[in-house]
Amino acid sequence: MSDDLIPTWEDVARSYGRKIYNFAYRLTGNRDDASDLVQEVLLRVRKGLASYTPGSFEGWLWRITRNAFLDSVRKAKRRPTSPLPDDDRISLVSSPSPDEVLASVRLSEDIQSALLKLPLDFRECVVLCDVVGLSYEEIANAVDIPVGTVRSRIHRGRKMLRGLLTWPL
Amino acid sequence: MATMNDMPDHIDELLTAYLDGELRPGELQLVTVHLDGCSNCILAFHELKETRAALRSLPMLRAPESLVPHGHDEIQLSAYLDGELPTTEYRLVFDHLQECADCRANLHELDAARTAIRSLPGLDPPEFLMPASRRVEHKWPAVQVRVAAVAAVAAVAALVVGVRSFPNTAPVSIDLDSFANRHVARASVEPGFQVIPAVHSGGSHP
Repeated sequence: MSDDLIPTWEDVARSYGRKIYNFAYRLTGNRDDASDLVQEVLLRVRKGLASYTPGSFEGWLWRITRNAFLDSVRKAKRRPTSPLPDDDRISLVSSPSPDEVLASVRLSEDIQSALLKLPLDFRECVVLCDVVGLSYEEIANAVDIPVGTVRSRIHRGRKMLRGLLTWPL
Repeated sequence: MATMNDMPDHIDELLTAYLDGELRPGELQLVTVHLDGCSNCILAFHELKETRAALRSLPMLRAPESLVPHGHDEIQLSAYLDGELPTTEYRLVFDHLQECADCRANLHELDAARTAIRSLPGLDPPEFLMPASRRVEHKWPAVQVRVAAVAAVAAVAALVVGVRSFPNTAPVSIDLDSFANRHVARASVEPGFQVIPAVHSGGSHP
């Protein structure tokens, strides 16, 4: 999305809703939390668009998303994580064999479970980088920390994750 | 050759930034030179790469339709076709294409249009612009012609800038005589084309 245009709320929902949902799900492991976050973010975006001035739209959006997420963490008590939803299975699009499907689902479950064991600061940067696809600078902008800190958190997060997963993958 | 002792403590961290293409200026050489001679770091790099690949293989889940309209974005389709989408966007579009016949049909049409544009014949530039030794008989693809045209303009611009900036420095690798001859030749076939006297240091030219 171009930085010099102000998108409509529908544009934001269509273009970023799924990413926000995945960001939230990978951070919380909980579908309800993820849906709540998408709703909350889109609500804040709708209100914020009235006063939004063209600039780094993604930076603005992910700051809102991250703040909404942190607010929800502060408000809610930690809930137990639910197993992976059916979506995880049906979105495997390449018609692999049943064994491969099973292996992929297990791998996804293992990674998700390992992600949830990372400290929130690390998990947040890893998810923004590897799930959402932001650059270090965009993450620094969204999380409001120096790029060097982003680099360190991503590295330490992935390294911890590696220790939590069974190798070879 | 750098040794482990020459490396800062955060070499590990540099490997992650290297993997993500996020090294700062000056760090790239440090890492590549070090990787050249340190099997431990090569191993660490491969493990980091595997970890990142595992993370990025996580499926993109579909948000509930009630929350997020599942969009059809033609701009995304063009970028998808050209391989210009970041990994995460690519996965979203790829998933969407599996389930949306309209977008598959659009993609097919965009592909056909792109193929048609790319099959346009290339045109040879006028002969007076081509050095005799480099003339080719075949038709060039349009993209190559465009690149060649840009390169030619850049070369001429560089020549002009170079000549103006360093009037007392004789060009070493550019054949000014050849350029001047072509220039004069163009003047002879194009009315109104002004011949600009060539600038040379020392000596005279015809």
